[in-house]
Amino acid sequence: MSGRRVYLDHSATTPVDPRVANAMARAVVETFGNASSVHGFGQQARAAIDRARREVAALIGAKQNEIVFTSGGTEANNLAIRGLCEAAAGRHIITSAIEHPSVSGVCVELEKRGWEVTRLPVYANGVVRIDDVAQALRPDTVLITVMLANNEIGTIQPISRIGSLVRETRATGQKLWLHTDAVQAAGRLSLNVDELGCDLLTMSAHKLYAPKGIGALYVRRGVRLHGQNVGGHQERERRAGTENVPGIIAFGEAAKLAREELVQRSQHDHALRDRFENLVQEQISDVVMNGDREQRLDHLSNISFRFIEGEGLLINLDLEGVAVSTGSACSSGTLEPSPVIRALGVDDELARGSLRFSFGKDNTEADVDYAVAVLARAVERLRMLSPLTV
Amino acid sequence: MPYSSLFKDHLAHPRNAGELPDANAIADEKNPVCGDRLRLSLIIKDDRIESVRYLAYGCPPTLVCGSVLTELISGKLVEEAKALTRADLVNAIGGLPSRKHHAAALAIETLHSALANLA
Repeated sequence: MSGRRVYLDHSATTPVDPRVANAMARAVVETFGNASSVHGFGQQARAAIDRARREVAALIGAKQNEIVFTSGGTEANNLAIRGLCEAAAGRHIITSAIEHPSVSGVCVELEKRGWEVTRLPVYANGVVRIDDVAQALRPDTVLITVMLANNEIGTIQPISRIGSLVRETRATGQKLWLHTDAVQAAGRLSLNVDELGCDLLTMSAHKLYAPKGIGALYVRRGVRLHGQNVGGHQERERRAGTENVPGIIAFGEAAKLAREELVQRSQHDHALRDRFENLVQEQISDVVMNGDREQRLDHLSNISFRFIEGEGLLINLDLEGVAVSTGSACSSGTLEPSPVIRALGVDDELARGSLRFSFGKDNTEADVDYAVAVLARAVERLRMLSPLTV
Repeated sequence: MPYSSLFKDHLAHPRNAGELPDANAIADEKNPVCGDRLRLSLIIKDDRIESVRYLAYGCPPTLVCGSVLTELISGKLVEEAKALTRADLVNAIGGLPSRKHHAAALAIETLHSALANLA
């Protein structure tokens, strides 16, 4: 082992940007007041939260008072879906087959309470079709929740087209709302909630170079949510609990940097991702690139390696310092291939052999070259061991 | 993933990988649930395992169980190899999470099949 470490798992989480860490460290010490307190210490914290809220709102073209801070993306998704369904009169939800568990799990919970859920297919390219959305609509549909970009394959979903459909439907008098989980997209794509036409949008700070434990839900003005945390007036009665001031300040700083550096970051990630995929295709045979080639995030590549299994490959890479992810798991002798990759219609072997490589702003071309060299060796080693190649 | 250094070493450097063209005892077993596969080929002379090779497809414990098994049985008498249990293999690896014991079960099952198939 060379001792070199290359982090290619930015869709799982990102390293904290030192500028964000500095802002947070100062806040921990200096901005300790409770933002609900009326004295100066409290008001200092309140002002800092307001500044951060403006930055987070600006990242998605929202108004400051439409941002509700949460503990992260999972809580924001719970608040959005449960909160809306509990406040609405209806019984049908439309979602996609490739949602993050923090969305799909909430939908399953609601099914147990009598809600009906339509899960839209994504076909071989990993993208929802607008015709399917239109066909799934019912008079008692109150919520469409489809992610903006997928966390495993990076495919970008047609949210603005779904948003138009929602607005047209609403014009007929039906009470229908659109939620999108933008955890992978926020800070990586230029987003505007009005152009998207969404009513609720989920963000997570740790995907954009801020620490864990802080996220946000955009709630369009006028959308009623049933609070999931009760017992306090914080966040306009939508999320009770003393605000995580240092986390919020970190999120604000990270959102500001993401907005200012968005083009530069996405060009950087895109170039590294393309370099990576080109090298992989040159050096490794029998690979399948998963998900749409165009309609996807710049920083992510999901590849299936035939004849081998993802976790063994992942650990071989980890032994040489390269960190990546696999969506498949084998537990208690039961195969659990990634539901996302399976939703593309591929066979179990390809689903088991898939790995996600996700690049970030601090990766270099040398990182990519090292990772491909390690990958090529590991794939060769595992294929020599595989009875499937004989 | 709390894998031991021994486990990682076998994963990165599998012992006795491959096949023996002159094998006189061969087995290829598959876990029907998860799809993991293990193939063993042995050369047995005078009731002793002279040579062994393995191929494996599946999760890391399956790959490692195959590798460790080949070291355990190499040079052993057939009767000694037949007496090996799943627990012996798990101990030799330095332990496996219980949810991964199926990997050791597949390896032992493949070994027993190969010994039963002795030409």
